[in-house]
Amino acid sequence: MPSDNAIETFGLTKVFRSLWRRSEVRALQDVTLQVARGTTFGLLGPNGAGKTTFVKLVLSCTHPTEGGARVFGRDVWETGARRPVGYLPENHRFPTYMTGAGMLDFYAALSGMEARARKKRIPELLELVDLAKWGGVRLGKYSKGMLQRIGLAQALMHRPKLMILDEPSDGVDPVGRRMIREILRALEEQGVTIFLNSHLLAEVELFCREVAILHRGKVALIGKVKELTAGKGYRLTATGVAEQLESELREKAMAAASKDGLLEFQFADRELLNQAIDALRAGAADIESIAPTTSTLEEVFFRTVQS
Amino acid sequence: MTTLTATAALVRDTFREAFARKLFWGLFGLSTFLILFFLFIMKIDVVQGALATVSLFGQITGRSIDVKHLVRQVHAGISSFLYTWLMFLALFASAGLISSVFEPGRIELLLSKPVSRLHILLGRYAGNLLVVGLNACYLVLGVWLIFGWKTGVWNSAFLAVIGTTVFMFGVLLSAMVLVAVLSESGALALMVAFALMIMSVILAQRSIAERLLSSEWSRNVWRGLYWVFPKVFDVGRMNMDFVQGRAVGALDPIWSSAAFAAVMLAASIYSFSKRNF
Repeated sequence: MPSDNAIETFGLTKVFRSLWRRSEVRALQDVTLQVARGTTFGLLGPNGAGKTTFVKLVLSCTHPTEGGARVFGRDVWETGARRPVGYLPENHRFPTYMTGAGMLDFYAALSGMEARARKKRIPELLELVDLAKWGGVRLGKYSKGMLQRIGLAQALMHRPKLMILDEPSDGVDPVGRRMIREILRALEEQGVTIFLNSHLLAEVELFCREVAILHRGKVALIGKVKELTAGKGYRLTATGVAEQLESELREKAMAAASKDGLLEFQFADRELLNQAIDALRAGAADIESIAPTTSTLEEVFFRTVQS
Repeated sequence: MTTLTATAALVRDTFREAFARKLFWGLFGLSTFLILFFLFIMKIDVVQGALATVSLFGQITGRSIDVKHLVRQVHAGISSFLYTWLMFLALFASAGLISSVFEPGRIELLLSKPVSRLHILLGRYAGNLLVVGLNACYLVLGVWLIFGWKTGVWNSAFLAVIGTTVFMFGVLLSAMVLVAVLSESGALALMVAFALMIMSVILAQRSIAERLLSSEWSRNVWRGLYWVFPKVFDVGRMNMDFVQGRAVGALDPIWSSAAFAAVMLAASIYSFSKRNF
């Protein structure tokens, strides 16, 4: 049955029991949420909140104790329901005996792509993640950032309609992070739903339109980022920023992103903002806008988790 | 078509892993060593196709014997040796290939693909069988060709050891798959496979056991275990009889071993489908 939601869960509960059933851990409790088609959705939560369990339930890696999950209206336990999904796991262990190109070929074949289509798509994606020269090299020789990028390419091979990314920026340097963000931004423009599981709050705030905060296995808060972030902070956008200055500002900022040719920084207080303005003016950059942000997602997160 | 593409990918992946872990070349290297061993140490001279002096493994016999019969006997002995040799190597080679699939960080990605758990398991199983089957073909055909060339006797029954080995390996592999699904341990799976092999030798001594065991209850337990466990020893003996041209007898060891494999695979598939990763 077609659905307006890319992901929907209803009463999703997962209880892990020890072998002899003496103890149990309630990893998820009655989680009901919807992720609309075409949105960018961030799942946040402290360690052990149940984020990864949630993702595993949505991908049918784990059986729910109660409730269920649907992807584009189909029960996740139907094999075909996973066809439009691209997934980048956290702590992935891609087989190191494979080359980058071989790995893309293998997982795309499992996604049902025919050999000819795979052959055409592999160079495109290696190029996209800046690993064109590494396609023939075994994954054992890749750095963590490179593995993350090839993992992203793997998730994109079969042109998924839903991307589920578990800590995609983990181990990636700032340049790689920006590349990943730009790729995801392009996907968003193409109407791909992006579900981001991350502990980098600033990154989620910059990228996602909607977020949910999981705490102790329950949905503690859910809503649109714009509506949730009501508090202090400043957002500055600029163009013509020299590379070195950009790096310096990224270090001072809580978050930074490039969007439509604009560089966007978020600063925690006025002092940092003023320093940035001075530096930008000294560097002959153009300041496009400065706006106070009412609250940062980090503050919302801590308020929610501590309450 | 999609299912076929995915299954082919899973089988190819098993080969790729076997290559990368040097298992493929290890198996073929050892098989080549064995073929060369037979090539150099076996000296059989048939003089004008008549009964003649025969030199086997350096032992010269001056007696007149039927060369065809002798070659069949030697074939039987060697096929038995190859059966055991191949089985041991195959089990060692396969131990890691099954359990590696369940590594955290790898299994989740596999399960996220539109491939059923049944396919993932059977794809790996089939890949393993193919790796071992190819090696068995290479070794047995190599030895058979050497024997045929040296003796002029082409005993096609000798080739049956390929089927016997692959079949029995498939039976033991099914038990290894179940252990790997339950424990994610390649070493434990290997231990169980070897235990089954050794048990089959002991349990096959039914006539001795019947005399030694004092109670009917104990004898029934022995019989029960004999029928439940795979019959590696009996199937090997059947293979030997077949190569020698003797009557093979009842096929019960084959059917009961196949039933064991079917149960093990069904249990593996069930356990895998119920597991959380």
